[in-house]
Amino acid sequence: MEKIQDVLNRYKEDFDLFATPNEKMEYIFDLGKKHSTLPEEAKNDDTFIHGCASPAWLVGECKDGKLILKGEGTSEMAKGMLTLLLDIFSNKEVDDILSFDPQELGQLGIVELLSPVRQQSLEAFIQKVYAYAKACKEKENGQ
Amino acid sequence: MSNNKNEKVLEIKDVHAKIGNKEILKGLSLDLEPGKVHAIMGPNGAGKSTLSKTIVGHYDVEMSGGDIIYKGKSIKDWEPEERALEGIFLSFQHPVEIPGVNNAYFLRTAVNAKRKHEGKEELNAAEFLREMKKYLELLGMKSDMISRSLNEGFSGGEKKRNEILQMMMLEPDVIILDEIDSGLDIDALRAVSEGINRMKDGKRSFLVITHYSRILDYIEPDYIHVLKDGKVIKTAGPELVAQLEEHGYDAIEE
Repeated sequence: MEKIQDVLNRYKEDFDLFATPNEKMEYIFDLGKKHSTLPEEAKNDDTFIHGCASPAWLVGECKDGKLILKGEGTSEMAKGMLTLLLDIFSNKEVDDILSFDPQELGQLGIVELLSPVRQQSLEAFIQKVYAYAKACKEKENGQ
Repeated sequence: MSNNKNEKVLEIKDVHAKIGNKEILKGLSLDLEPGKVHAIMGPNGAGKSTLSKTIVGHYDVEMSGGDIIYKGKSIKDWEPEERALEGIFLSFQHPVEIPGVNNAYFLRTAVNAKRKHEGKEELNAAEFLREMKKYLELLGMKSDMISRSLNEGFSGGEKKRNEILQMMMLEPDVIILDEIDSGLDIDALRAVSEGINRMKDGKRSFLVITHYSRILDYIEPDYIHVLKDGKVIKTAGPELVAQLEEHGYDAIEE
């Protein structure tokens, strides 16, 4: 079972390959080429990520103790970041997500390259992921 | 050479070619076999570089007769990029400097164009760099060379190593090396040869154009073809090299 930290390690290695901030950012754009989309009906008020610099949506589904995430962003940057973040957080155990310290994303060496507005977007995304993970946990405990 | 048609990857048939108004290739015929290293030797002005340009469809060259068959198809009317996408590679004798074009982007664009053509998924920047770093070390190239502009300010040896890097990343089927050894010191020659030898897989063919026998000590050709006045005048095994060293090209008769 792949943990969040495993994926982070993988991406850390990737980002370490690039010598300059520009190349790291371009890699994020590159990742965005594999960006998924959501069906129109999934893009609503509940799935909208409030506080993102450009409109973005995140759908969370609980399955066998794991959280499955799907998302869509509108700007090139958001598409890249979403692809990266979905790879890190989706299909992970709910407990893994809830015990994850977002500061750990700093290992990637890219958070500090983001503008303040985009750092806020990242924060908003993570809050949304936690909200879904908590809901899964509550549902699990309620059963 | 083999009579079996399937054992030729490239067939150059009675090719006549001009640069400007001057006919340089005058009925040149040559077959390349898969997995073999063919060396082309010959005096200055024999048409060695014109031959390589003709195979890749260089715009300097006008083919006025004959045909070039690659993997069973005539390619004489193909654009250079079609030939490249289908697996023909030429390392330039004098690689050009292109200021402002990042070396890594240039190569990744080329590699991904070829992968796309072959129906393979494109490599992202990290996958590409990881692949490339394996070869940089082998070729003794500094990693900052890949983030610099293409060949700009590179030494002669660095340019040639960069050509070999391109060859390794593009994984071509027919590799034409036009005086890859000129201007190389012994370390560069060794690194370049190692890169070439690494690409030998029993299927790829090599056409090594050279003035000097030195590189042939490292990459061990299967055939030596002597080119003179626009034609192949002799084809023999590697033993011919020593003979040429001793007696020169003039001693070879048609």
